[in-house]
Amino acid sequence: MNFRKELINHSLMTETIDQHQEGKRDVTFRVFRFNPQVDSKPYFDDYTISAERGITVLRSLNYIKEHVDATLSFRAFCQAGICGSCGMRVNGISKLACTSQVWEELDKCREPGIIKVEPLRSLPMIKDLIVDMDPLVDKMKRYSNWINSTMPLAEMGKKEFLVSEEEFHRYDKATDCILCASCVSECSILRANKEYVSPAVLLKSYRMNVDSRDSIHDVRLAELVKDHGVWDCTHCYRCQESCVKSIPIMEAIHAIREDALECRGPKDTSGAKHAEAFMEDIEKKGKLVEATLPIRTNGMVWTLRNLLPMAMKMIVKRRTPPPPPLVKSSKGIKIFRAMFREMTEHVKQDHQKSHKK
Amino acid sequence: MKPFDIVIVGGGGAGLYAAMEAMKTNPALNIAVLSKVYPNRSHTSAAQGGANAALGNKAKDDTIEMHIFDTIKGSDYLADQDAVEVLCSEAPKIIRELENIGTPWSRLDDNTIAQRPFGGAGRPRCCYCADKTGHTILQTLYEQCLRKGVIFFNEYFALNLAVNGSRSRGLIAMNMKSGRVEAFPAKTVIFATGGYAKMYWNRSSNAAGNTGDGQAIAYRAGIPMKDMEFVQFHPTGLRKSGLLVTEGARGEGGYLINKDGERFMARYAKEKMELGPRDLVSRSIETEILEGRGFESPAGKYVHLDLRHLGADLIKSRLPQIREMSLNFEGVDPIEEPIPVRPTAHYSMGGIDTDNFGRTVMDGVYAAGECACVSVHGANRLGGNSLLDILVFGRIAGHTAAEEAGKFEPGTISEEEIRVSAEELRHRMQPSGHYERYGALREELGQTLALNAGIFRESSLLHKGIEDIAELKERFKKVRVFDSSDVFNTNLMQVLELKNMLDLAETVAVGALAREESRGSHTRIDFPVRDDEKWHKHTLATLVDGKVLPGEKPVTMGRYELQERTY
Ligand SMILES: Cc1cc2nc3c(=O)[nH]c(=O)nc-3n(C[C@H](O)[C@H](O)[C@H](O)COP(=O)(O)OP(=O)(O)OC[C@H]3O[C@@H](n4cnc5c(N)ncnc54)[C@H](O)[C@@H]3O)c2cc1C
Ligand code: SF4
Ligand code: SF4
Ligand code: FES
Repeated sequence: MNFRKELINHSLMTETIDQHQEGKRDVTFRVFRFNPQVDSKPYFDDYTISAERGITVLRSLNYIKEHVDATLSFRAFCQAGICGSCGMRVNGISKLACTSQVWEELDKCREPGIIKVEPLRSLPMIKDLIVDMDPLVDKMKRYSNWINSTMPLAEMGKKEFLVSEEEFHRYDKATDCILCASCVSECSILRANKEYVSPAVLLKSYRMNVDSRDSIHDVRLAELVKDHGVWDCTHCYRCQESCVKSIPIMEAIHAIREDALECRGPKDTSGAKHAEAFMEDIEKKGKLVEATLPIRTNGMVWTLRNLLPMAMKMIVKRRTPPPPPLVKSSKGIKIFRAMFREMTEHVKQDHQKSHKK
Repeated sequence: MKPFDIVIVGGGGAGLYAAMEAMKTNPALNIAVLSKVYPNRSHTSAAQGGANAALGNKAKDDTIEMHIFDTIKGSDYLADQDAVEVLCSEAPKIIRELENIGTPWSRLDDNTIAQRPFGGAGRPRCCYCADKTGHTILQTLYEQCLRKGVIFFNEYFALNLAVNGSRSRGLIAMNMKSGRVEAFPAKTVIFATGGYAKMYWNRSSNAAGNTGDGQAIAYRAGIPMKDMEFVQFHPTGLRKSGLLVTEGARGEGGYLINKDGERFMARYAKEKMELGPRDLVSRSIETEILEGRGFESPAGKYVHLDLRHLGADLIKSRLPQIREMSLNFEGVDPIEEPIPVRPTAHYSMGGIDTDNFGRTVMDGVYAAGECACVSVHGANRLGGNSLLDILVFGRIAGHTAAEEAGKFEPGTISEEEIRVSAEELRHRMQPSGHYERYGALREELGQTLALNAGIFRESSLLHKGIEDIAELKERFKKVRVFDSSDVFNTNLMQVLELKNMLDLAETVAVGALAREESRGSHTRIDFPVRDDEKWHKHTLATLVDGKVLPGEKPVTMGRYELQERTY
C-alpha cells in the first residue's frame, strides 16, 4: 500500500465520511447489481458509508465507486440536474441521483437507514443502474419529435418568425424536459405495454404541435391516435408526479386528446372506442367496469397479450379491479344519469359555440 | 465497417451543427456522429445565459462592428481579428437559422427574439430562452439531426486517431455497451469534444466528462494545441462541487463576505463592489483566501455569498434556481445561511489549433467548438460568445469537411491496429502488486492545478505544478481498472479520461510558465502587466518524443490597434 495514497484517501474521507464530526449520518445504500456477462440474475449489494448534510445520492455513489467498489456502474455527467443522465429509482421512486439529498432520502426509507437504489423501469437493462435509452429515441423518431419548419430552405437564416411571448409560454414548460426517463419508468401503461408512446414523447409531441413554425401537425397527430398512442394513457398522473422538472405532462396529454377529437372526430381509433366505452359505463352504472374496458377498447387478443401479465401481477398484489358482476350500479344512479345527460348536452353546445367562433 | 466520408467526434452544439451542415452541403456523404454520452446530454445543455448576436432587436443601434470590437477587447487583443469578424458577422444568420428550425426563444413585445445585457458587451445582444438557452439549442439540434437521419454512435468512447504521416485514416473508438474496440475508417474526422476545464476537478463548473478527450487524442497524434494556458475562472462556484452559482445572485444584490465578516470587495472595486468583472472578482476572492481571510472546512477554503438580507420573498421569486442549487449541493438554504463559494474553472479558451475553416495541420482532421482554438476568444472569452462560437465554427467545419472529403482517399484501419488498442485497455485490468487509485490521482491533479496553475500563477508555483503533473503521470502507470467486464465499463472510461487530462494538464502548466506576462485570464504575480512587445502572440504546444515542444504563432490583426483593456 502506498502511504501517500492513504493520506489522500483520508482527506477525502473527512469530506464525506468522518465518524467523529458532528452532522454525519450512517447510511446503507442497497444497490441493484446486474452484469449480464456473469450474473444470471440481479442481486443487491449493501454499501454503508456516513454522509454529511448536503450530500447527494450521486456523490455517495461516486464515493462508493472510487473507494469501495469500482465495478459499480451508473451514468452521470453534469452532476447539476440538467443533462438527464442519472435517472434511477431511489427508495422506489424514479428521480435524478444528482439532485437527491441523502438526508432527505433517509426519512423516506422503508427499512430505516437503508436507501434502496435501482435502475429505471420499462427500459432494457444494460448493467447495474444503466438502462438502454434507445427505445425512447426510437419513439421520438416515430412521433416526429421535431419541428418541420414552414420556412423554405432558401430563406433559412434570413429572417425570424415572429412569435408572441404568449405562444412561447404554451411550450416553454414542455421544453424543460431533459429526457431523463423518470416519467417513462413510472408510467403504469408502459410497464404493461413497451410499445406505448411514453409520457416524455407525448410531451414533446405536444410541444411540437403547438408551435406555429411547424408544418407537420397532422402527420404527428395521425401517428399519436394510432394504437399505443395518446388514447392508451390511463390518466394515472404518475408521470407528472414524478417529473424531475415539475412539468405538467398531463396538460400536454389532455391537449393532444382535445386536439385529436377536434381535428379527427371520435371515430376510427381505439382511443375513441375507449372513450365511448367509458361514456357507456358511466351512463349505465355510474362507474367504470375497468376489467372489461381494455377488451372493449382493444379487442380480446390485444388485451390478453398485453395486459394479462400486468393483471397477474395485480392479482398477486390484490389490486385488480373487481370482475364485472361485482360492479353494482352506484346508489342514486337515476339522478346521476340525468346529470350526466345534462353534462354531455352542455359539452356539445360548448363545442358548437367554439366552432362557430 | 464501411469507410465514412466524415466522422464527427462529439454530439454537443458544435458536433451536431457540423453534422447538419455537412449533410446539407452534400447529402450523398456517409456521415457518422460519435458521442460518449447521448448527444442531448452534452455539456452545451448547461449554458444558461445565452448566445450573442447583433440582431438589433433590443438595442436598435447595435451593429456587427460593435460586437467585433467588444469581442476583440474582451480577448485582451489576443483573438485573431479575421476570425472574430467571421464569428460576429455570421452570428445574426445562425441565430435566425436556429430560430427557423424550431429553437424556442424568449420574445420581446414586438415578437422578435429577446436579448439581454451580458458582461463585456456594449449593447444588450445576448439572445436567450429563459435560463435554459444551451439546453434548448442542443435539443433543437438533436431533434433536427434525428429528423435528417444522421447516423449516431451513442456511448462510443473515442480512443485514438489512425495516422499515416501527416494524414489521418480515421478513428478508433470503444463501444461502451459491448466493450468492443471498433474502427471508423474515414476520409475526414471532425473533433467537437468540448472543453478541458474539468481537469481542475472539484474546482470546476464543468460536467464530469469535459476532460479534453479530443484535444488529447489530437495532441498525441502530433497536432499542436494553442493557447492552452488560458482557462477562465468564474468567481462563484460551490465549495464542494465547483458547480456554478450564476451571476444573478450578485446581480440581485448578494454580498461577498470573508471570515472577519467584511464585505471585502470594497478593497478591490470600491464602486462596483460585487458587480465587478468576473476575473477581478475571482482574483479578489482568491486573494482573501490566500491571505487567510477565508473560511476553512474539510472540503476546502471558501468565502460566503450572503443573500439573507434580500429576504425570503425575493430569493424565492427571483433566484429559485440558485436556492435549489445550494440546497441540493451544499445542503444550505440561502434564506437562512450564506452560501459557501470559491472561484471555479469554467471555460477553456485554448484547444486544438485550427484555421478559420476548422482545419488542423493534419490532412483530413478538423476541429470546432470549445475543443478548438481558432482563436476568437483570445485570452478571455466573453459570456454568450461560446455558444456562438460552437454554432458558427461547428457549421463551418462541417461545411469544409464535406467539401474537402472528396480530396482524400478512403482511410483503412487494420485489424492489427484495433487489436493493439484493445490490448492496451485490457492491460490496465491486469492485477498487479502495487496499484494506484484513479480517484485519488484525479483529485490531486485538480488540487495542484488550482493551487499552482489557477487564478494566480508564478514561476515557482508553476514549476511545482509541472513536477506534480509529471509525478502523477508516473503514478498513473500503476492505476488499475478493477472492473474487468466488457459491458459499460465506466471504471475504464474514467481512467482513460484521467489519462487525457494528465496529458493536457502539462500543456496548460508549460504554457502558463512560458507566458511571462498577465493577459486576460492569465495572471502572473511575477509579471503583473501585459507585455505586448514580447507576448502579443499565441503559444503552441506540440508533442514531440513524449515531451511538450513549445512554439508560437502570430496574432492576426485587423482594424483594431492594441489598447489597454479597461472597463
Ligand atoms: C455552467 C456553464 C454555463 C455556461 N454558460 C454559457 C452561456 O451562457 N453562454 C455561452 O455562450 N457559453 C456558456 N458556457 C460555455 C458553453 O456551454 C460551452 O463552451 C459549449 O457548450 C461547448 O460546446 P461543444 O459543442 O464544443 O462541446 P460539448 O457540448 O461539451 O460537447 C462535447 C461532446 O463531445 C463528446 N465527447 C467528448 N469526449 C468524447 C470521446 N472521448 N468520445 C466520444 N465523444 C466524446 C461528448 O459526448 C459531447 O457530446 C457555459 C459553460 C458552463 C460550464
Ligand atoms: S398519466 Fe398516462 S402517460 Fe402518465 S404515467 Fe399514467 S398512463 Fe403513463
Ligand atoms: S418529462 Fe420530466 S421526468 Fe419525463 S423525461 Fe422529461 S424531465 Fe424527465
Ligand atoms: S448527472 Fe446530469 S442530471 Fe444528474
